[in-house]
Amino acid sequence: MSEFTNTPLLEADSLHKTYQMGAVNVPVLRGSSMQLHQGEWVTVLGSSGSGKSTLLHLLGGLDTPDPGCGEVRYMGKSISSHGRRSRNRYRNREVGFVFQFYHLLPELTVIENALLPGLVGSGIRTDRQRALELLEAFGLNHRLNHRPRELSGGERQRVAIARALVNRPKVLLADEPTGNLDEQTGQEILDLLRKEHQAGLSIVMVTHDQKIAALADRVVVLNRGQVEETVSQASSAFSY
Amino acid sequence: MYQFLLTSRYLTSRIIPVLAVAAVALCVALVIIVVSVMTGFLDMVRDSGRTLMGDVVISYPVTGIPYYEDLMLELDELPEVVASAPLVETIGVLRMPYPRGATKEPKMVQIWGIDPARFDKVTAYEDTLMWPEVPDAASYHVLRDEQYGPVVETLDDAQRIAILRASLSNTTEVSTDSQVLDLGSALTGPEWNEHLRYVLLTNTGVLRDILEPDQIDALQRAISVEQQRDTAENTDLLPTSMAMERNGTPGIVSGIHVSDANYRDRQGQYQIRADGFWWLPRFEGALTTVPVDASGGTLEPETMIMPFINEFSSGVYSVDEIRVMIPIHVAQQMMHLDEAEIVDEFDPLKVVATEPARATMVIVRGQDGIDVNQLRDKVSQAYQRFTSRMAEAHPDSPQPPIEGVNLGLNILTWEEQNAAFIGPVEKERALMRTLFSIVYIVCAALVLAIFWAIVYEKTRDIGILRSIGASRPGIVWIFLLYGLVVGVIGAFIGLLLGWLVTRNVNSIHDMLAEPPLWLGWSFAAVTLLILLWTIIRSFSGRILPVVLGVMGTCILGAMTGLIFFLDAQGGVVIWDPAVYYFTEVPNNIDWPNAITTMIGAVIFSLVGAAIPAARAADIDPVKALRYE
Repeated sequence: MSEFTNTPLLEADSLHKTYQMGAVNVPVLRGSSMQLHQGEWVTVLGSSGSGKSTLLHLLGGLDTPDPGCGEVRYMGKSISSHGRRSRNRYRNREVGFVFQFYHLLPELTVIENALLPGLVGSGIRTDRQRALELLEAFGLNHRLNHRPRELSGGERQRVAIARALVNRPKVLLADEPTGNLDEQTGQEILDLLRKEHQAGLSIVMVTHDQKIAALADRVVVLNRGQVEETVSQASSAFSY
Repeated sequence: MYQFLLTSRYLTSRIIPVLAVAAVALCVALVIIVVSVMTGFLDMVRDSGRTLMGDVVISYPVTGIPYYEDLMLELDELPEVVASAPLVETIGVLRMPYPRGATKEPKMVQIWGIDPARFDKVTAYEDTLMWPEVPDAASYHVLRDEQYGPVVETLDDAQRIAILRASLSNTTEVSTDSQVLDLGSALTGPEWNEHLRYVLLTNTGVLRDILEPDQIDALQRAISVEQQRDTAENTDLLPTSMAMERNGTPGIVSGIHVSDANYRDRQGQYQIRADGFWWLPRFEGALTTVPVDASGGTLEPETMIMPFINEFSSGVYSVDEIRVMIPIHVAQQMMHLDEAEIVDEFDPLKVVATEPARATMVIVRGQDGIDVNQLRDKVSQAYQRFTSRMAEAHPDSPQPPIEGVNLGLNILTWEEQNAAFIGPVEKERALMRTLFSIVYIVCAALVLAIFWAIVYEKTRDIGILRSIGASRPGIVWIFLLYGLVVGVIGAFIGLLLGWLVTRNVNSIHDMLAEPPLWLGWSFAAVTLLILLWTIIRSFSGRILPVVLGVMGTCILGAMTGLIFFLDAQGGVVIWDPAVYYFTEVPNNIDWPNAITTMIGAVIFSLVGAAIPAARAADIDPVKALRYE
């Protein structure tokens, strides 16, 4: 696409990741590469066990690739060479995670969950205004002081997205965000993501669902730890 | 800091931290209670040593120290000495006013002849006196003594027989007049008052037949006075301040446990048996002792009948049950230690010398904060000056004993005097401290176990926090802060608990001795309610409520059983005053120890929390997020 600059915003370069399960080494990623450009929505499509979640964790700096076997570059710089401190900062400021099971802290209220990345990152100063705007935009302003267990699945996921976006990251990393929701609610979540995408947010979303994958600018198909094909579908992106 | 937010939320929304706080609190309370009681005990031992006999004691039993007044002058010159007092100590038999069978109860006593004013300057004598006013119950009987006593004195034998027959109709119907009269002669004045009053209230007709009109008048006056209950008249029974005489007769001030008529109630107050009847200052006692002559042989026993003036409570049971105080001059007379003239062997009218009065002890009080061993040395030097001066001043009279020569003479500090008792208590406290230090380790282990469980439960939260950028030290801080808060809250609750138990340890102890039955019945009622609830809940098919219900039923049932069992056994007395010296369990918090314990609990809570905290930080966030 001509609107994308040449340097990708986020880039996975032939990543290898092996997990040790007892005495056996299980290779999960075997030289996977992909790129995400500024303002792009890339969906990683793959069946269960294809390594798509692992790829997402590596992209988000939550895990590191096997030593010497590939690297993740953010704005052209390797995130694995930065050291722990700046990787914590990277997770806190530059990317936001959204998970299939929402992963909200059950003891905190909606507003506190949404504020948490601010608290973690800056210590005392939090952008409460930003959190309130997001929650209001997501239709949660009447739920601010509720606990997650009092919310529906869709509401919980919207809180999780608000939390992911509160520090204004450039990239949203979503791991099957609709996997635990019914179709109707899932659609609402996807609409919400699309709105954010239109406002300039770059998204990497992992899914096994072909229909959901169709929403993206580009689909990366992952099979047994390797990227098999990249399908550009810009034309179909807005026709959904 | 998000750590504060999370810590406060984890604390308020979970049961587990409550368990951790409770564990820490119990550990802290346990140590505070045990060590406070032990420290209080030790302090009481030390204090009692001082209050009972001052700081330094010069003693020469039986034959005593002559010219003790000169010795005291010598002592009072020492700048370290605040006051000194002479004592005459001996043993004797006290016949108590109340009967044992047909005779009066005899009691073995330790007699202390004291000069109350000087004795009070060395010990805290005045503070130990029991009766600053006539106890309410006793005042009725005092009143009756005054009103009925004069009438009883005027009764002749025939009247006495008639009154006893009317009062004791069951036992006297078959007896002959002389048997009834014998019975009557064994009664004390106050007992006669009661018989007369009983007949007056129940069978006035008998009295009208046998009594003279003026006796009847006196009785009617007595009744009306009694009905007015004018107790103001009775205060003349009380000594003015520390005086040891009544109406010019020297009297006895006895230890509170000498008389079997006094007992401690549940509130720890002294009560008098028979509804105040046996209030000792209403009666007289006969004190007998055996004097010893200069050669160490015994002489004829000396007996004196003296009114009881007051009672004292030193707080030391073994003293209160055996010691009676009498004026020193009376004790000297009874022991033949008073000043006497030595007459010529062949001419009894010719006075050859004067035998000086003697005291068997001189007790010395030093200035506050003085080192008692130093004081003892000063007193010892003063004693040497005293003996050499006496040798010059009275070369022909008996000389005071010399330290190191007359082995019976001892100059000891109160600690040395009580060494056999203080030593073991100090050792016991050290032992308790050591043993209960293990509690800290228990505290740390409990916090460790509970925090391990909390970290396990919060694994996913840790993954989430890592995914939004929390650092590993940040995660460590959550749990350290959590441990700190648990430790601090636990320590303060423990302090409160320890304080409450320690302050009320005497009530709790009395409760064990006399278990309150209302508590037993309430426990029984609650047990039944829980049992009922358990049975109802057992139909719901869930196991936890049933288990909790059964446990609650068992625990409360056991408590109920224990209360009724204790009651059936007549209660348990753990702090037996006969064993522990003191009549009350010490109930002051040992603050330095309490604060050390609290700090220890906080530190060991942190130690316990550190390991799970480190483990939490090492959790792989990816695995933690998969954890469900």
